[in-house]
Amino acid sequence: MMWLALSLRERQCQEKASRGDTWVASLRAAARRGGADMWQEVLPNAWESILSRIRSFQYSQKNAVLVPAAALGVGGMVVCWLMSRRKIKRLEMGDGWWGSGERPLRENEDERIRPFKIETSDKEIEDLHHRLDQARYAPPLEGAAFHYGFNSDYLQKVVAYWRNQFDWNKQVEILNKYPHFHTTIEGIDIHFIHVKPPYVPHGRAVQPILMVHGWPGSFYEFYKIIPLLTEPAKYSLGDGDVVFEVICPSIPGYGFSEAPHQKGFDSRATARIFHKLMKRLGFKEYYVQGGDWGSRITTNMAQMLPESVKGIHVNLVFITMQGFKKLVQVMLGAYVPWLVGFTREDVRRMYPFMQKNVYDLLRESGYLHIQATKPDTAGCGVNDSPVGLAAYILEKFSTWTNKSFLHKDDGGLESKYSLDELLTNVMIYWVTSSIVPSMRYYKENFSQDPHLTNDSRIGVYVPSGIAAFPEEIAHTPRSWAKAIFKNIVSYSYMPRGGHFAAFEEPKLLAQDIIHFVRRVEQL
Amino acid sequence: MLLEVFLILGTIIVYFLRSRKKEETLSFKDGWWGRGQKPDTEEDATIWPFKVETTEKDLSDLYRRLDEARFSEPLEDSCFHYGTNSVYLRKVVSYWKNQFNWKKQVEILNKYPQFKTKIQGIDIHFVHVKPPCLPEGRSAKPLLMVHGWPGSFYEFYKIIPLLTDPASHGLSDEHIFEVICPSIPGYGFSEAPHKQGFNSVSAASVFYELMLRLGFSEFYAQGGDWGWLICTNLAQIAPNHLKGLHLNLASVTNMGFTHLLSILLGRYLPGLFGFQEEDVRRMFPFLKKGLYRILLESGYAHIQATKPDTVGCGLNDSPVGLAAYILEKFSTWTDLEFRNLEDGGLERKFNLDDLLTNIMIYWVSGCIVSSMRFYKENLQKGIGTQKHEKLPVQVPTGIASFPNEIMHTPQAWAQKKYTNIVSFHLMPKGGHFAALEEPELLAEDILQFVGRVEKEQLWRKKGE
Repeated sequence: MMWLALSLRERQCQEKASRGDTWVASLRAAARRGGADMWQEVLPNAWESILSRIRSFQYSQKNAVLVPAAALGVGGMVVCWLMSRRKIKRLEMGDGWWGSGERPLRENEDERIRPFKIETSDKEIEDLHHRLDQARYAPPLEGAAFHYGFNSDYLQKVVAYWRNQFDWNKQVEILNKYPHFHTTIEGIDIHFIHVKPPYVPHGRAVQPILMVHGWPGSFYEFYKIIPLLTEPAKYSLGDGDVVFEVICPSIPGYGFSEAPHQKGFDSRATARIFHKLMKRLGFKEYYVQGGDWGSRITTNMAQMLPESVKGIHVNLVFITMQGFKKLVQVMLGAYVPWLVGFTREDVRRMYPFMQKNVYDLLRESGYLHIQATKPDTAGCGVNDSPVGLAAYILEKFSTWTNKSFLHKDDGGLESKYSLDELLTNVMIYWVTSSIVPSMRYYKENFSQDPHLTNDSRIGVYVPSGIAAFPEEIAHTPRSWAKAIFKNIVSYSYMPRGGHFAAFEEPKLLAQDIIHFVRRVEQL
Repeated sequence: MLLEVFLILGTIIVYFLRSRKKEETLSFKDGWWGRGQKPDTEEDATIWPFKVETTEKDLSDLYRRLDEARFSEPLEDSCFHYGTNSVYLRKVVSYWKNQFNWKKQVEILNKYPQFKTKIQGIDIHFVHVKPPCLPEGRSAKPLLMVHGWPGSFYEFYKIIPLLTDPASHGLSDEHIFEVICPSIPGYGFSEAPHKQGFNSVSAASVFYELMLRLGFSEFYAQGGDWGWLICTNLAQIAPNHLKGLHLNLASVTNMGFTHLLSILLGRYLPGLFGFQEEDVRRMFPFLKKGLYRILLESGYAHIQATKPDTVGCGLNDSPVGLAAYILEKFSTWTDLEFRNLEDGGLERKFNLDDLLTNIMIYWVSGCIVSSMRFYKENLQKGIGTQKHEKLPVQVPTGIASFPNEIMHTPQAWAQKKYTNIVSFHLMPKGGHFAALEEPELLAEDILQFVGRVEKEQLWRKKGE
């Protein structure tokens, strides 16, 4: 400090700018006083002094310190500003029109919510029976079990049940036990069920929750979990402190929701439509829950309109495998998991890595590849043959529930589900002829390079809950989920269950959802 | 320090010694593909004649299914980008039901003599066409032609007359062939294997036995699609019996470092990698014409190589679904630009009768599932992992490279595997189904190839 002041004095006689002189004088005065208050007087005029220094064509020690300091300060501010901008970055809502033909110029979209009942007819059932009767099968290879796909010997047994014992009329009644509705959004009819709790204790808040299905599922997957969420006390899931009203829509193109007529209908469009649906139903804030496509759609919903999403709960996390950091974590994770943020359970579920995450995924993703490239071709035959449709869909219910079911001649299907519920789900695809539009969803979502789309870089900041089921197709550890979900409130290793969590383990999933919502509500 | 040097040197030497072992041949793969246990008795080697038959019951069942077919509306302006366009499919189905005459087509199928014989436990179907008139003192050269997926022996019906009777079709009659077109086991009228593991080497072994049983100790082989691989394996199993190998597809699955380098730099330094101008035109930009194209068009291979029974199930039960699945390939693999057309450009290069006859072969034999299993048997361990993919081919080889093939293989790459390329021609037009689409071009190329081999008696060189 003293040396600084001395050098200034030396150059004092060469000063030209008056301001600089004043400032220099004050500096000298401050230097004489010494101490911390020197900078207090220096900084306010620092900028002017810098200018004068520059003008005086002299490079002094002071500039050498001040200019970088100023640059650092400004730079730091810019970085902070940029980072804070990233924080509030959200997925654009955009707009869309999915009806057939041209979008009408004057938009008077019918916003009524119309009650709906699923119907069937004798003609429909006869046509189905006739097709089941004339089905042609190719005998399986000896000893193939489910390794080549759905075993056709077992398929014949399923079809025999379907033809002779399955009662579609009765199943339609079961489907209709919850209230169904239709409403037109962005040009297409959106189907949903809306179940309110039968009894709410006085003063208790009812949490609205939107639950989104995936492929090859449907709204029907939630039928076992809905009562656990609308009447938790009855099923000993808590003392009713958290009670839900459940809304389960059908993704456009699936089940009783109209299929989009235009190209480009992806998960972001779905997220936007579901937001509009909830708004139309009068909800400003709600929870969202999903697995499979539902996970991606609800994630998009949280990225699009975080102020409306009180919390997001998923039972599957989509993650891209890219990144050098991930590679290193994978390589080290088997040996020093604690170093890379993996728990022992993570290691147990993820390793051997190549086998479980590369080979298994390659083996199971053929359907994804063909649906993401040629959905109309892939779906044509299965829309015309109910037996083909059943084989295609039920193969997933077997393998994605537990990979070891591949070794079984019957695919282990009836060990976890009843044929009635499996076939009801298949029938939803059959009677609505929705298998082709449901497959197109893959092409619309995978057409673009995932790394170029916005949503992979936008985080989810709303409170998030993740339920990691052990038999899920691939396991995502918490440390990787954090890359997207910045605000994980609960991450649970579920004791059992696979991909179709709501269908297979409704009680476990309901418990986790309630546990998650409890945490969010107390926050 | 010295230890490290020795270790490295040692590794290099060992590597070279092991890689030198490439001279070994592929061994004949014996097997038993019939139902249940292999019987102790000697296999029945009779060859009996076969005729394709149809019944009223078959036809009325087919028509009923065509009538009841359920279609899904295509997305607006999607043409063939999402797969077979169902609006065009309806037109095809209408033709199929009202104008297509299956009985007449069966007569056409039966115009060439067909036979069956049992090999390794399963009935093998084949067409055997001898030249109608052989000039004095001349002999017909046996030529084995192998089809692929989703084709059949029927693909060769246009090219057979050009090879058995070239003079009547304006071609030089220096070489006249007798043509044998078998159906790959699991395709068409060949019985499907009942056991797991029937791959291209198994098929090559079966066809080798077939040719020996027919009394041929020296013959030519031609193929594209799976026929390419089966004939290649045949050349690796029995190089002393194969006079020449002609291919209209030459894929290279054993990619090495030089391949990668040539992909990265080949556009800028084509000469360095042995690329011709046409090679560069067909291959680059590589991402677009190579990688993305493969990704876009290989979904079927991925699902068939993993879950054939699942994907084939619906197609074996719905003729419309089967037609959509197969026709999409005849459209896109003939010309990728056809994806932009509402009708997939199918009738520009083929007529509906031929296309539907091929589909009917899959339908009446119920073979779509077993045809798809071939993918799993060959690809389930991954591409480039099988032993035969690493072995070279020393038999004289001729390659006809058609421009609209999905992925182009330049001669520079093919040479690494096919070490004795006698002719490599970049054809002026045509796609994947060369024999059906451009029979004259293909026949001419086969004739000139055989001419070269015969003139230089190249096949004899191996024995000497």
